[in-house]
Amino acid sequence: MRKVLTGNQAVAYGAMLSDVQVVAAYPITPQTTIIEELADMQAEGLVDLDYIRVESEHSAMAACIGASMGGVRAFTATCGQGLFLMHEMLHYATGARTPIVLANVNRAAAAPWSIYSDQTDSVSQRETGWIQLYCEGNQEVLDTTIMAFKIAEGVRLPAMVILDAFFLSHTSEPIDIPDTEAVRGFLPPYDPGDLWLDPDNPRTFGSICMTDVYMEFRWQIQRDMERAKQVINEVQDEFGRLFGRNYRQVEGYQSDDADIVMVVSGTVASTGRDAIDYLRAKGERVGMVKLKTLRPFPREEIMAALRGKKKVAVIDRNFSPGATGVWAQELRSALYDLPEDERPIIYGYIAGLGGRDISVKALEGIYEKTRASDRPDDIDMWIGVNYV
Amino acid sequence: MKYTEKEVHVPLCAVSTTSSLVNKTGTWKFAQPLFVDRVSPCNQQCPAGEDITGFMYLASQGSYEDAWRLIMEENPFPAIMGRLCFHTCEEQCNRGEHDDPVSIHMVERFIGDYGLANGLKVEIPDQDRKERVAIMGAGPGGLTTAYHLRRMGYGVSLFESKEKPGGMMRYGIPAYRLPKDILDGEMSRLYEMGVEFKMGTAVGKDITWQSLDNQFQAVFIALGAWEEAGLMIEGITKKGIFHALEFLAEINLGKEPEIGKRIIVIGGGNSAVDCARASRRLGAEVTIVYRRGEAEMPAHTEEIEMAREEGIQFLFLASPTAVYGEEIVTGVKLEKMALGEMDASGRRRPVPTGETSDIDCDGMIIAIGEATRVGDLPPFISHRGGVVDTDRMGQTTHAGFFAGGDIIDIPHTVTHAIGSGKRAAVAIDRFVKGIKGEEDSPDLSRWGDSGNVSLARLKGSSLFARRNPSLEVIDYGDMNAFYFDYRPGIKTKKIPVDERLNGFQEVTEAFSEEEAISEARRCFNCGSCTECGNCYIFCPENSIKRDPDGYGYVADMEYCKGCGICVNECPRGAMKMTFLEY
Repeated sequence: MRKVLTGNQAVAYGAMLSDVQVVAAYPITPQTTIIEELADMQAEGLVDLDYIRVESEHSAMAACIGASMGGVRAFTATCGQGLFLMHEMLHYATGARTPIVLANVNRAAAAPWSIYSDQTDSVSQRETGWIQLYCEGNQEVLDTTIMAFKIAEGVRLPAMVILDAFFLSHTSEPIDIPDTEAVRGFLPPYDPGDLWLDPDNPRTFGSICMTDVYMEFRWQIQRDMERAKQVINEVQDEFGRLFGRNYRQVEGYQSDDADIVMVVSGTVASTGRDAIDYLRAKGERVGMVKLKTLRPFPREEIMAALRGKKKVAVIDRNFSPGATGVWAQELRSALYDLPEDERPIIYGYIAGLGGRDISVKALEGIYEKTRASDRPDDIDMWIGVNYV
Repeated sequence: MKYTEKEVHVPLCAVSTTSSLVNKTGTWKFAQPLFVDRVSPCNQQCPAGEDITGFMYLASQGSYEDAWRLIMEENPFPAIMGRLCFHTCEEQCNRGEHDDPVSIHMVERFIGDYGLANGLKVEIPDQDRKERVAIMGAGPGGLTTAYHLRRMGYGVSLFESKEKPGGMMRYGIPAYRLPKDILDGEMSRLYEMGVEFKMGTAVGKDITWQSLDNQFQAVFIALGAWEEAGLMIEGITKKGIFHALEFLAEINLGKEPEIGKRIIVIGGGNSAVDCARASRRLGAEVTIVYRRGEAEMPAHTEEIEMAREEGIQFLFLASPTAVYGEEIVTGVKLEKMALGEMDASGRRRPVPTGETSDIDCDGMIIAIGEATRVGDLPPFISHRGGVVDTDRMGQTTHAGFFAGGDIIDIPHTVTHAIGSGKRAAVAIDRFVKGIKGEEDSPDLSRWGDSGNVSLARLKGSSLFARRNPSLEVIDYGDMNAFYFDYRPGIKTKKIPVDERLNGFQEVTEAFSEEEAISEARRCFNCGSCTECGNCYIFCPENSIKRDPDGYGYVADMEYCKGCGICVNECPRGAMKMTFLEY
């Protein structure tokens, strides 16, 4: 079935098709229409879920953790300030090994107040142990939401589906909605094994751990996050076989023979495809790599994709004050281990903060700047900033 | 990837191998919660000592018969109370600080009418006690004492000089406030309970105090206040001039007093308003003349309001100094008054100004107060100007003689009389049985230190379960009102003025069942556990459980760590924290 859906509706359809059992959420623009849509679906009897009204995002995540520990599939959605407020509970969800799925609509951080898109909210959660899956379009949003449950439950770690505010959340596209039974075949009901709050087998979860075992629990998170790289690929492959749409953690676009590769994430990838087509038509040997996962970081895949390239232009719609854009940090860290003669020069660009548009023209400018110099001017370069 | 040579043998997340019951968190506490039933302000305020909190809860659950029985533990006349009582409970209602006070009297009236309509009966013991008690006066005080003593198994003889029981309820209150069939319905239960009514028997004339003392183990005196204060002014003996009680008695016996069509009522109390409203129903133009201002009127505001609706005029700061007319009154000379300093009653004293005016009339009613007929009192008990000296429970200075109602130092209302009758019944029971102990003093069964005694509390069992009852009164600030929504009260409806003036039909319309239950649900049940379960839900240590033996919840002290969340989340303030001493 095809429908014209906004990105937020696509998230709701994904959650509905995943037979989510508990939703606990707090409204916040531009996320609110996700949970509204789910509330409507529940009211219309399209999905059998318990909807928990809470007083904050912190409580929303706490309620999801409780629900997930109760052995059911839990979902929430938030953005920007809401995700920041959730931060403490995000760590907890990981440690409690609750495979919650959260849809985060990327929204810039206050102050100054903004409801528009950038990735600062989600990249700020890099160390919480959540799988992070960035989306380029509304179809990918819907498909990723379904896959996120399977990935999260497969490694018993929580997962975030991330979409750009307004560029996706409030923009409509024709979407192919998978068949309910087919999705059920792909995503069976959540099986918590024996780790859940079983009233017939009362146990205490998450109480204090002494120095003798704390590191072991943390080690297991890292082991399973590493394993997630493989699980994500398996899930994406299975999804592709069943539904005909293929997703990769690292997806190249005309990058095989390119000298210069732009590395992008989120909706910038779709603008990037146009920019690459335009530049290729002019005869430039340029390509693009779209990154879907920030965590686990697909280190091995990215090394393979960029090995031997001359220059890599990383476009970060986020920024870590005092350091650089987060994707650039990750790439520098991963590519440093390449042999020196196969190691590309990394150009870090900061663009599109607070919802500012990253146009084809802006990407063309980035390409030109990268091509024209032997070394970057600075460790990061801010695009389109009107310096005072 | 290899992080270690060996597989680590820990589960995925930190989980105990046994339940949390091994963790006796009770050892952490320095404070602990106590389930304690506190007194609601309405219960404390009720002069009759009714369990308002309790009957409102039972009514809210649709258990009307239980609600009726709970009222009947304390007060034999719920249908009368719902109409006559000036419901000062509602002025104290904690809900008044939230939105509107609960309309307690209208729910009580509904419950009382339910009891009458369904012919509900009160049980009395199978076996009568051998002791007998004499009750002098069949007004609300005497009837109440008779009722409670019968329920305790005593033989009761009730002596009354009038033809029918009810006292002021029958002879003083017009039918538009209390229909006679309601009064008779409530009275008939006392006949069924085996009270021996000796009507038309006046003490001192038909029977002597000494003979009562000899024949009965105790005597309760509730003769009422039938001595009317008179005006010592020129021309006061003319025709067409009545005293309030004499006028109201004629009305209530269905007679038409010989009075004119332009009537002046002198006085500012409830009797004055009753006389004015009754006269209006006889087709008269009525003016109430009062020597102080409206704010100083002792009459109930609602009564004044209805009088005004019915077209009654008010003339304040005026006092009669002479009556005009040949044989029949034709007018009154009034002196203008001013308000001076506060008097003993806390109201500003009227001060004559010397300025006079005349007002025409062809009838006049004097309603300036009533007192005890001192000559009717037994000579051997102490009194001050007809106000009989008693202790808190009604014991007079003469052993075995008790007093209540309008002859003791309490406000002259039906409800206060009923309350005094109940206290006397308790005191008489203790006197006959020779109980004197301080330990089981009835004061411990009061609704708060200043409240009346509750027979259900004294008995220790009630249709509305109360746990660990205390004398503490709970105010709005002690509750967690976050749990209560905002919902205005249901306004009482009155019949249109032209219908009212057509006769003596009841003015205030009854609540429908829907309205009564809706209003009963507005009650916070302040200070009482209603098993809402908040303590159970919020306890982080699962230490709160349903009481396996009865009502409500218990806290397992092995696990309670004394955090106090349960107390904080109790909407009704039926819990409190107590600090432990180590």
